[in-house]
Amino acid sequence: MTRMPLRSWLEERLPVADVIATLRHKRVPHHRYSAWYYFGGVTLFLFGVQVGTGALLLLYYRPAATEAYESVQFIVTRVPFGWLVRSIHAWSANLMVASAFAHLFSVLFLHAYRRPRELTWMSGVVLLFLTLAFGFTGYLLPWNDVSFFATRVGTDIAATLPLIGNGIVRFLRGGNDVSGATLTRLFGFHVAILPSIATALVGLHLFLVQRHGMSVPPSVERRAAGDPAAVRSMPFLPHFLLRDLFAWTAVLAVLAALSTAYPTELGTKADPFAPAPAGIRPEWYFLWAFEVLKHVPASVGGVNGEFVAVVAIGAGAAGALMLPFVAGHTVRARRVVVWAGLAALVFMCVMTGLALTSAVP
Amino acid sequence: MLNWLLGLWGGGVIGSVLYPVVRYLAPPDVAEATTLSVSAGNAQALLPNTGRVVPFGSRPAIVLRTSSGELRAFSATCTHLDCTVQYRSDLQRIWCACHNGQYDLNGRNVAGPPPRPLDPYDVNVSNGEIVITRRS
Amino acid sequence: MRGLNYAAAVMFVCLASGAQAQTAGGAADAFRNDVHAAAGLTCAACHRSGSPGTYEAPPRTAIAPLCATCHGDAAYMRKFDPQVRVDQYLQYQTSAHGRRMATGDDRTATCTDCHRAHGVTRVADARSPVAPLNVTATCSRCHGDAARMAASGHDASPPADWAASVHAAALLKRGDTSAPTCIGCHGSHGATPPGVTAVANICAQCHQREAELFRASPKKDIFEAIGQAECLVCHSNHRIESPADAWIGVQEGAVCSQCHDASSDSGKAILGIREALDRLSTAVSDADARLNRAERSGMPVDEGWLMLQESRQHQVQSRALIHGFAVAPLAKTATEGRTAARRAHDVGDAAMEELQVRRRGLAVATLLVLAFLVTLWTKIRRLPSITENPPA
Repeated sequence: MTRMPLRSWLEERLPVADVIATLRHKRVPHHRYSAWYYFGGVTLFLFGVQVGTGALLLLYYRPAATEAYESVQFIVTRVPFGWLVRSIHAWSANLMVASAFAHLFSVLFLHAYRRPRELTWMSGVVLLFLTLAFGFTGYLLPWNDVSFFATRVGTDIAATLPLIGNGIVRFLRGGNDVSGATLTRLFGFHVAILPSIATALVGLHLFLVQRHGMSVPPSVERRAAGDPAAVRSMPFLPHFLLRDLFAWTAVLAVLAALSTAYPTELGTKADPFAPAPAGIRPEWYFLWAFEVLKHVPASVGGVNGEFVAVVAIGAGAAGALMLPFVAGHTVRARRVVVWAGLAALVFMCVMTGLALTSAVP
Repeated sequence: MLNWLLGLWGGGVIGSVLYPVVRYLAPPDVAEATTLSVSAGNAQALLPNTGRVVPFGSRPAIVLRTSSGELRAFSATCTHLDCTVQYRSDLQRIWCACHNGQYDLNGRNVAGPPPRPLDPYDVNVSNGEIVITRRS
Repeated sequence: MRGLNYAAAVMFVCLASGAQAQTAGGAADAFRNDVHAAAGLTCAACHRSGSPGTYEAPPRTAIAPLCATCHGDAAYMRKFDPQVRVDQYLQYQTSAHGRRMATGDDRTATCTDCHRAHGVTRVADARSPVAPLNVTATCSRCHGDAARMAASGHDASPPADWAASVHAAALLKRGDTSAPTCIGCHGSHGATPPGVTAVANICAQCHQREAELFRASPKKDIFEAIGQAECLVCHSNHRIESPADAWIGVQEGAVCSQCHDASSDSGKAILGIREALDRLSTAVSDADARLNRAERSGMPVDEGWLMLQESRQHQVQSRALIHGFAVAPLAKTATEGRTAARRAHDVGDAAMEELQVRRRGLAVATLLVLAFLVTLWTKIRRLPSITENPPA
């Protein structure tokens, strides 16, 4: 009986009862496509894993060119379970990017971006860009050969933009070339600036999802004779929550297995004066863009080829961001969106495949 | 019953997450990476005109005391073909047994095949222990 | 007659100095890049002029004394390079080439054959035929030519032998200019094969440790008594190959078997040395394999590499100690090397053990997760089925 006074103490100060009541009434649509709903939660879970393992790594990591590599070596060899924390952080980054893309594409194909969820979609697209930025900034932090040169190649791409290109490169690198200044700067982005922006956006994204509930795909709605209330649904508490928990625990087990069976390499310490090693590549989620830049001709209609490619990719990103406003509402318009999304997905997969198979062994 | 089992296994899962985290948080015995700076033994035990080779990270280092009592330290990897050098008190030079390369007490290559001087390290004495530090 | 000699001399100079055309135009072109031209000297400094505009090549026997008129004059050379040596001609006169030239036989090398007649550059200039990386090719032009060497009763194999040696590999593949070329052992201006008793002194300039050990060993007196050159018996002079532990032994093919057999005390010592070396070699390669395996499995083993480096050092020292021809010191060093290799191996073992610990830990955690997931799934299936329509 002593628990009741605690509960009533809390209820007097926090809207506990309201929250529980809302959750009790919350329902989640259940239809042939509802399995895709889990990807949002999985991405959120992996973000949580990143924050947790990232905070742990921060206790031992040193963001200076003279010490970064050695501190990672220290974590992996001397700190108990340091190898596990580091490998989970690296693998979870990869899984989070994959999950974020799966989430985006499933939302696209199920047309969940449509009214009134435009802001949810846009905040989500920006969150995807932030996830890629997290990946890019974090990649340099171990300060090994591969990450040093991948960062140099990656930041070089910004130079193709006229007028602002060099400014952007200097902004990213903290100077004209990749150096200790770049390390400190990207570290600041990775652990402070990007997390604050991401947390705010995640908060907004979750609030909006809570506000509007889960979207039902148009085809399911049509089958239910246009009546959203006629769609089968399950209670959030406990049905959906337990299934979510199932998915998250399964992902945790996969993370642990990957981290133990395929621990991340240390590599060799970055040497700015050594020639670039053969086969420099960015992380897999940038490979498709990297491959596009390789295939684009040096000059397209008199304009620098790389610049054209960057602009094209930028246009694609802008199109993705503004999708709710450019997509039509008719069945045919939605079919166009599906085909466009499929084309983009296939294109990215083919480019990634080409990049992987053409890699120097 | 099911809930009880769920609690049991769930507790196990949470335990297998928390155990590594708790172990991780406790600082290890060696508090810092030993790749910038290492201890090179007792200062008193290193007599004038003697030297000793000590490990420094994954490469050898040589610390020596000149006849006038000054401490010096260098990388002990010969710049010719990577053999480990030693101190020769008869020559008062650092010598490489492989092809008779010689370095003076400032690490400069003065005789034989070595093409470059030895990398110097900073030497300090702290609590009677010699500490050598890589120069960045 | 003189004209014939002149023509022969020109032809010989043509052939001997290789690519240079001795037409007036070719010589003038080459002379543009010559250090002598840069110093303000003209054709007339070396050539007596027959008639205006034509220059005779000096007879080959006269070339060296001609160069020496300046290059042997310290006061004169000091004006151009205060540090340059001025004893080249004196050395040349002691050399095999110089002595033959002094008899009037000009089918031997003189200054212009190695340094070129026109277009002479400094030795340090990479284009010079006597630059460290080029000098063996220059010597080989005559000393590698079987027909030419047959005329003077020499073998033409040394340059090809040298090219197959570790010294050639060091110089030409690794760019190690401390590696000896022909002139490192034979001299340049004073080029003469070192005598049997002297050759070991040459090797000792770089291989001091081995020489020290050899001279303190019983072999020194023995080799002097039998008139054999120290290093050459086992290592050869030109085709010096990378020695192998397998060279030690009393069986067919081992260098020791040239004099020793299994029955004597020395034979037993040889086998003892070989055994110590083999055991060390096995320990080192075992440790190397173990550490590589650990690293491939993702485990860092830096300390192990350090230990292995130490054991390799001991291996190098043991192999140097062969030249002392005594079992005890070598066996001691080899044992220390095996201890270091053992420690390296242990690091690899510990890493593989740690890997197993991790896998066992993962197995436990995964089992717990699977049990949890199974129980959770059962609970999910047992939940009341979701209603068709939400409650009102």
